[in-house]
Amino acid sequence: MARNELILTDVTKRFGGLTAVDALSLKVESGQIYGIIGPNGAGKTTVFNCITGIYKSEEGSVNWRGEEIRGMTPYQIVDRGIVRTFQTIRLFSQMSVAENIMSGRHIKSRQSWWHGIIHTPGSRRDELENWKKVEEQLDFFRLGEYAASPTGSLPYGIQRRVEMARAMAVDPTLLILDEPAAGLNDKETLVLLETIFKIRDKGVTVLLIEHDMDMVMEVTDYLTVINFGKQIAEGTPEQIQKDSAVIEAYLGSEDDDDE
Amino acid sequence: MEKLKRFSLPGFILVMAVLPHLLDSSWQEVAITFLVFSVVALSQDIILGKSGMFHMGQGLFFGMGAYATAILNNEFGWPILATIPVAILVPALIGILLAGPIVHLRGDYLLVVTIGFNIVFVQVLQNNLGGVTGGPNGIFGLDSLSLLGVELMSQLSVYYFAFAVLLLTFWVMRNLEGSKAGRALHYLREDQLAAESIGINTRVYKIFAFGLGAGLAGLAGTVFAVQYSAVSPEAFDFIQSVLFFSIVIVGGSSIPGVLLGVFVMFVVPEIFREFATWRYFIFGLAMIAAMILRPRGIVPATFGKIPKFLIKGGGHGA
Ligand SMILES: Nc1ncnc2c1ncn2[C@@H]1O[C@H](COP(=O)(O)OP(=O)(O)OP(=O)(O)O)[C@@H](O)[C@H]1O
Ligand SMILES: [Mg+2]
Repeated sequence: MARNELILTDVTKRFGGLTAVDALSLKVESGQIYGIIGPNGAGKTTVFNCITGIYKSEEGSVNWRGEEIRGMTPYQIVDRGIVRTFQTIRLFSQMSVAENIMSGRHIKSRQSWWHGIIHTPGSRRDELENWKKVEEQLDFFRLGEYAASPTGSLPYGIQRRVEMARAMAVDPTLLILDEPAAGLNDKETLVLLETIFKIRDKGVTVLLIEHDMDMVMEVTDYLTVINFGKQIAEGTPEQIQKDSAVIEAYLGSEDDDDE
Repeated sequence: MEKLKRFSLPGFILVMAVLPHLLDSSWQEVAITFLVFSVVALSQDIILGKSGMFHMGQGLFFGMGAYATAILNNEFGWPILATIPVAILVPALIGILLAGPIVHLRGDYLLVVTIGFNIVFVQVLQNNLGGVTGGPNGIFGLDSLSLLGVELMSQLSVYYFAFAVLLLTFWVMRNLEGSKAGRALHYLREDQLAAESIGINTRVYKIFAFGLGAGLAGLAGTVFAVQYSAVSPEAFDFIQSVLFFSIVIVGGSSIPGVLLGVFVMFVVPEIFREFATWRYFIFGLAMIAAMILRPRGIVPATFGKIPKFLIKGGGHGA
């Protein structure tokens, strides 16, 4: 099973009486830019949390490259090449941009715990190699000038970029983005689109949630639309645009695409 | 405040290296206490400051190291230096064992549990468990340091022993900062969920912090036992742990901050001798003032310690 496929089968997640994700199935193929859309509270973020190990779905299966990852911890899932960003940015806000990106190298670094007490030539080399990888991300995301700035004090758009850079520092196979365009202005959104295409061209599969319909239609290869935790449609952007169930779900919910 | 920012570690080390020659015997005593308690406070900082775990039982690990040295020397006749590995490893292992089941607890719960551990420990000492702790009186009459058969009786040699331990602690702290493990502690303190989601097994690193913090405190315990040629339970009481906790909170999670905290707590009261009994009063006021004026401590942790080649100007420096 070498294919980098993510297959969700009948994934169900409940919070008390509320079924936030209801028997959801989807399949993300290697090299795709895959979109999940749906109105507020539809359960999109919860799906991501079930994939990345923050929640364990009560039922169903989450299969990644032929391996069942449901019930694994978040760091075990990162170790298998799946990394995510958050809808509400979660950076290490007192730490610099470079240090934030360096956190993405944690799992790739070969240092043991005891190198925290005594360094060795090997651990110094490893340290330097990983900082060089940070430099690559700083360049790729054009964050070089902010390297030493604490992230908490940076504008929102830059924080979003730092969060993506941190995720990309892991060298992921599957990158999961929760509303990467939220809070960005039009110019920043354009840059983001370009970046997402570039990331895909590096061979990374991208799974994203997006509220901004224009952006979704432009960037994704394939889409799943959910409402009340259930899939109501799937297909290419062209197919989705014509889908009557989707049009209905979005009518009247156009008012609140903030957050 | 500006002066503090320009704090230089080499300068401090230089001053401390010559200091005992300028002091009389009673002030040397104070200086040794400053060195020993600085090590304990820095070890507390690894757990509380760097990792953000509300641990209020550092007296436990400090005492465990001191008692390990005292028991091995007094009961079993080990030379002091030979007790050091045990005085580090026993607290470190106990720290790891105790941390295992509790590190997932939220701040306030963790606080209560660690206080509990400390109280149990002191009770065990008081009740002379196993007949080796000497009960409420403790153990006295330890040998002095000896190196290659030479007895180092003088207070000056105890001072340099303590100083060497502090330097070792500085070195460990510096290594920690420039390592994957040290950064992991900062990440998990800043945002545990984000840390897990970027691939950090936070549980392992929390336990690591406890093990390392406990080991260093244990080493400080050896020096403490040597300084007084004795150990007794009240020196490792819960109130001591409260002080170490407060020093890190008030001073801030940085070497100058912690040293300043120890200075205010343990040296200033000696300068104003007649106020010595007022030390908690002074420190209490300092705590209140610091928390209102500088909630992240007098000298907060600084970040942005990144390789120079990553800093490309741009006036955004941290
Ligand atoms: N931890 C939780 N506890 C209880 N209910 C939750 C929890 N997380 C999400 N929910 C609920 O599950 C439902 C789905 O939430 P989710 O955040 O997945 O929606 P979403 O599609 O991401 O919405 P948005 O577009 O607003 O981000 C909502 O009704 C939400 O209130
Ligand atoms: Mg959401």
